[in-house]
Amino acid sequence: MSDHGSGPRAFSDSALDITDMFVFPSPERSGSLVLVLNVFPFAGPTARFSDVVDYRFRIRPVSVDPSARVFDVGDTEYVFSCVFNAPAGGDVQEGTCIAPNGESLTFRVGEEGTAGDSYRVFAGQRMDPFFFDGPAVIRSIMTRQLAFTNPGYSTVAHQNVLSIVIECDRSAMFPDDQGPLFAVVGETAIAGAPQFRLERYGRPDIKNVVLFPKGFDPVNSDLEIRDLYNEEDAFALGPAYLGAFHSRMNANLAFWDGLDGKVDWPLSADGAHPLTELLLADFMVVDVSKPFSGDGTFFEIERAMQNGATHATCGGRAPNDDCMGTFMNVFVNAGNGPQLTHGIDGPAVPASDEFPYLVPPELNPPTPKLPSLGQAKTGR
Amino acid sequence: MTQTLDSDLRTTAGALAMDNLRAQIEGMLRDATARRLPARSESGLIELILLRGHLLGRVSDYEWATALAEQLAVETPDDGNAHLALARTRATLHRFRDALAELEEATRLGGDPREVDGERAVVLQAVGRYDEALAIFISADDLRSDFTSLGNLATVHADRGDTATAEELFAASRERYRGVSPIPVAQLDFKRAHMWIAAGNLGRARAWLESAVRRLPAYAPAVGHLAEVEAALGETDSAIARLLPLATTSDDPDYAAQLAHIFDGRHEREESRYWRNVAAARYDELVERHVEAFADHAAEFWLDAGDLKRALPLAVKNFEVRPTGRAANLVARATR
Repeated sequence: MSDHGSGPRAFSDSALDITDMFVFPSPERSGSLVLVLNVFPFAGPTARFSDVVDYRFRIRPVSVDPSARVFDVGDTEYVFSCVFNAPAGGDVQEGTCIAPNGESLTFRVGEEGTAGDSYRVFAGQRMDPFFFDGPAVIRSIMTRQLAFTNPGYSTVAHQNVLSIVIECDRSAMFPDDQGPLFAVVGETAIAGAPQFRLERYGRPDIKNVVLFPKGFDPVNSDLEIRDLYNEEDAFALGPAYLGAFHSRMNANLAFWDGLDGKVDWPLSADGAHPLTELLLADFMVVDVSKPFSGDGTFFEIERAMQNGATHATCGGRAPNDDCMGTFMNVFVNAGNGPQLTHGIDGPAVPASDEFPYLVPPELNPPTPKLPSLGQAKTGR
Repeated sequence: MTQTLDSDLRTTAGALAMDNLRAQIEGMLRDATARRLPARSESGLIELILLRGHLLGRVSDYEWATALAEQLAVETPDDGNAHLALARTRATLHRFRDALAELEEATRLGGDPREVDGERAVVLQAVGRYDEALAIFISADDLRSDFTSLGNLATVHADRGDTATAEELFAASRERYRGVSPIPVAQLDFKRAHMWIAAGNLGRARAWLESAVRRLPAYAPAVGHLAEVEAALGETDSAIARLLPLATTSDDPDYAAQLAHIFDGRHEREESRYWRNVAAARYDELVERHVEAFADHAAEFWLDAGDLKRALPLAVKNFEVRPTGRAANLVARATR
């Protein structure tokens, strides 16, 4: 699943567990950029943001290096930082967001958007927009065969998450001489100083699909690598585990490539997979000069760069975009066909074109049909 | 001392963390309802329910988790994770032999060796096989020394009475914490306090219990033990104030038994009798259903009430379940 439970730390504390990130030009307001960070998979009604976590977007300008076909990441960083209080009793939780231009907005969780001069923000429960057949991934890994069916089984359909949605006027946030390509990373970190990164998110399923399987890794076949990966700065990977990340990614990407019985991504002499460097630069790239164009933009900028072409769309990722369909086809057959499907066309309820874009939470879950609770009664 | 302890780690507010634990359970139940969760995820749900049972002192959660695990094992008998989940519920209710058998099954069915071994070590430790538990925990710590592995090592040394080594390991574990949930830290502090209670150092025990309760005010066993320490130090008013809410919200009779003991010491016979009757009825109920889990505390309860006849068979049963030094001591006290 996109980034749900992507490591032991995330499993143990859902409030810091990033499930998804979306970045796209506003379909509602020309010249605005939308940033969405979802946390807390399978959120029940009492789910709250942590009062000691900084939920943030880190944004840097990037440019394409045509010769090396990689992104050059700029040094200037723009940060949207959101923190929340610990409400007393049944009080509504409040949050504060500080934008790169210094504008601060205080908002109440669950209210339909608070607007400032240069941006607006929503935080609260929404229906989880992610769609992918998680069990089919596990079956594919275990059987070493593509195990997707049509229709597929959407693992988190009708489940809820906690969302932070920011829509900002890009000219108020980024100087004219920056961009139009920007790299975005979503993070949860311990608020205050010193900061410690708990989770990060650049692209969907890098941790759960590309890094999680251990068995193909010739170097660290028993290492749970995801928390180590989460702690790293996406814009500046440290040297300590770089070799381990390379080894795991090379091996697992080769595994996915081989699932259709042919090799579309030949490894280099030293075993490097052609996608590894690109995916290790784990951020979402968006072109803010291009308009919102609906679905199908995810990874388009990266693919164009790899092919030495000029990208045509805004890139990034919108909630209804079948990003996992895109990744399956990239990973397994390099887009050479035949077209693969995971059997799910979109979210359980498609996102709207109006702020905050993600649809309201599912309030009427199915009635539990669980085993009897024994004879014990609570209280006296 | 406690001020320093609390200023070093920033964790989510306790009430908020408990709300979130509930939200995790409720959210995962939706999928468990339709049997949409894979066994691995459902064993995670069972673990969360067991955790809530421990934190809030809710036997009903243990029973619920057990029912879920049994159902899971029936529905997915060939999945190691299902048997691992069942082993955890068996161990929680002190059915240690059954737990070890389920862990064997989990191993046979390809359950994650590290998880299965970790659970096996917990069971071995519970039944007093400290050397075997230690060997497993040392090997896990060799692989990756972190908050969990160091905390596990600390508790084994604590159970063996080696407080100096345990104290170092507890401190090292705390330093390695890299999360924001208050729950693991409060649990670690609680275990550290438990060691100091056993060692007779109530001052140190109190400091760690206060730390645990400040971080997680709803943590029933920590509140209960803090009340126990306060009562032992003569601060019975405070102890009673802590125990009364627990005795009415928890379905574990320990808190009612503690109240009976404290009121008895204050010569408040009517109050003592009331809480003793409440505890006795509940212990009888629970011993009937889960004798392995409640023999220990029920024996203590009847010893405190001066009823050796009822205490002895329970103490013997407890010694059969886990032949530790503490269990032997309980038998000796019941036969004096």
